[in-house]
Amino acid sequence: MAGFDISKYREMFVEEAEELFESADNLLLEAENTETLSDEQMGQLFRDVHTLKGSGASVELALFAEFTHDVENLMDKLRNHDIEFIPEMVETLIDGLDVMKELLELEVSEELTRDTFTEMTTDLLVDLRAYINGKTVVSSKAKEETTVADTPVEPDLSKEKQAFNSFNQIAEDDGSDTIGFYDDDLERKRANPSFGFFNDDNDIMDNDDSEAYGFFDEKYDEAAKNIQSTPVREYEENDDFGFFDDMPDITPETASSEPIEVKESKQPAVQEVKEEAQTKAIAPATPVKKAARKPKEEQATSKKSAATNNIRVNLDKIDLLMNNVGDLVITNAMLTQFTTTIDDNKIRTSVLERLELLERHIRDMQDSIMSIRMVPMESIYSKFPKVVRDISKKLGKKIDFKHYGDNVEIDKAMIEGLTDPLMHIVRNSLDHGLETPEERVGAGKEETGSITMSAEQANGQMIITIKDDGAGIDTDKVLAKCLANGSIDENQAAQMTDNDKAMLIFGAGVSTADAVTDISGRGVGMDVVKTNIHKLGGAIKLDTGLGIGTTITIMLPLTLAILDGLDIAVGEQKYILPLSAIVESLQPTSEMIKKIGDGTQDLLMLREEFIPVVRIHHLFGVEPKHMELEKGMLIVVKSGNSKIAIFIDEFLHQHQVVVKPLDKNFRSVEGVGAATVRGDGSIGLILDILGIIEAQKKIDRNMLESKNAS
Amino acid sequence: MAKLLIVDDSTMLRDMLNYALNEGGYNDVVEAVDGVDGLEKAKNTTFDLIITDVNMPNMDGLTLIGELRKVPQYASRPILVLTTERSDEMKAKGKAAGATGWIVKPFVPDQLLKAVNIVLSR
Repeated sequence: MAGFDISKYREMFVEEAEELFESADNLLLEAENTETLSDEQMGQLFRDVHTLKGSGASVELALFAEFTHDVENLMDKLRNHDIEFIPEMVETLIDGLDVMKELLELEVSEELTRDTFTEMTTDLLVDLRAYINGKTVVSSKAKEETTVADTPVEPDLSKEKQAFNSFNQIAEDDGSDTIGFYDDDLERKRANPSFGFFNDDNDIMDNDDSEAYGFFDEKYDEAAKNIQSTPVREYEENDDFGFFDDMPDITPETASSEPIEVKESKQPAVQEVKEEAQTKAIAPATPVKKAARKPKEEQATSKKSAATNNIRVNLDKIDLLMNNVGDLVITNAMLTQFTTTIDDNKIRTSVLERLELLERHIRDMQDSIMSIRMVPMESIYSKFPKVVRDISKKLGKKIDFKHYGDNVEIDKAMIEGLTDPLMHIVRNSLDHGLETPEERVGAGKEETGSITMSAEQANGQMIITIKDDGAGIDTDKVLAKCLANGSIDENQAAQMTDNDKAMLIFGAGVSTADAVTDISGRGVGMDVVKTNIHKLGGAIKLDTGLGIGTTITIMLPLTLAILDGLDIAVGEQKYILPLSAIVESLQPTSEMIKKIGDGTQDLLMLREEFIPVVRIHHLFGVEPKHMELEKGMLIVVKSGNSKIAIFIDEFLHQHQVVVKPLDKNFRSVEGVGAATVRGDGSIGLILDILGIIEAQKKIDRNMLESKNAS
Repeated sequence: MAKLLIVDDSTMLRDMLNYALNEGGYNDVVEAVDGVDGLEKAKNTTFDLIITDVNMPNMDGLTLIGELRKVPQYASRPILVLTTERSDEMKAKGKAAGATGWIVKPFVPDQLLKAVNIVLSR
């Protein structure tokens, strides 16, 4: 079909696959711990993998689907109790999912060849198919030894393999284009020409077995015939669909003995379906019990399926709604301001009263919309167990990953920005923080280390803590590195507390790892963590004790859509400072101000600390009321480890502002993070503290350079 | 204009189906994410044709077909199952559940349309 753009659907599939992999991985990880798989879990696993196969094949990822088919086979057999579950299978299945992920990546980028595919899958297929045939598998370690020298192609003909080569053969004979059958018995039936049950429709339809559709109603069959007689592309001759209506009807072509066979084979099928229907019908009736028993799985299902009570809404629509309410807030503020023009006191008061009521309703509405944007932390946590398992296995460490506050809700818009930093932190913790079992025992600790992630809402903030009981950070080592790379000098170092030193790991290019590994250690991670958290308007804190462990605390605003701001005035202009960034404000005395350099740079000395002063009027080129610091106000603001004192004329009042991104509506401006609309309809600019600090550093550097040049 | 309902838990597949059907001139297509959703939507609106996946959470496609057949307006309306297996067992199950026919997944858009055209031109 013209215009059928497969790449678009592939993209969608890759996204969808990620969710499915996550769901399946987590089920298997749980199974690895408990060494059991419930029927419910097996069903879910099968569905996940089945969807992966079906959707993958639909976007023409043939090799991916081919391999996935075998994984699905095993899950199907397990689900139907054709074979018994043994804990050893879990590892094979987890490896299978990993291979599927690799295959998917390669095939989507069109880098997957048949040879690579064979190489990647051969060994696993032997295991998978052995399990499918009800055999136990020699531990993969032992097998590695025997097959290590083998090229990945066929010469190593173990029994299992031979069986499955013939399996493949049958599947090929069948003519199915991408996938064969999941059941050997059916395979045999299918190959048996005397089984007439489906032959009749084959006779009516074209001829070959590779029908991709079929009809069981003669009316349809006739129609199909007519359509088929019109010229169509060749592959369309395969039946890709079919109809069931007249299956019980015996066509003259079928031999006399066959109808009985039909009935016999039909009977159990009906029963089976009925039973299935019954069990399925019961299932939704006990959601509470299910939820209590398997919250995780329930979560996974509801995420995907969103049954009758849920709808899937594009986040953009909710943003739009939020924006509309923001406009309502603004209009309300305008009206309130307008009441000052009402002369009659009595009327003004009663109008104000009603406006207050309106405002309260708008706030309620804002809260409701906000709650739509919130998703449970569980959706972030669920990405971790697999990563922890894989890395700890690779490093030979024993690690217990725990998470708390699964139901604490977080703004959906934040999840994307938060997942990467958290992942970095956990990887770092696994690689550098936590010790090997031997080291731990040597240090008198439990053999198994732990990483705990928790989330809570407190004081209008979201607080996420990642805690490990590893070796902690060697602050002196970090300090030495920073001194060596010149990011701090001896003077600064001398004033630092242990925690200040540890915080240095959030600087660029700092790593305490002596060797770079593929997990972490390049020193690029932690500064990215800091930057990302700041982008979300959050802050990060680190506590570490040598030999005890490290705790990283991330504080985030509950939402990115609203913030508490302080109005500040510089000359004619007004700006908004995010309240969360403000440390303190003061009117300085001349003793507190030190001038450095050529006298243009001021430092505020506050309780033994030197804080660079940034004159907002310089930065934005406006005319201030006051030029002398003593006459204006200094507001100390903080972003990460950096503090600056912003020089302004005065500060006005504090209020909630609805954040409107500047780059979407205008363009990005240095030092300004976003904008809002004020009660009087004017635009208010929200200052970006991190941006101002960066800008200040740039000015310092330029000054230094021009000085050096002259 | 024929009203169609497609039931599949994969957003991507629903999109593909919808696209292919639109290309074939079927613009009145409603989507449902699983059997439960599909059943409710089917009860609220009468569709001329329902295409459903088999393996879905909450309520699978075969159960859905069984349930639909109990609803008077769907007693004889066409319902097609999308199936990844070409196996006889699957076909038998589809038939036993009361489906009108089956379409193999991955589907070829032209094949899908052909099947849809056939059932709707009855």
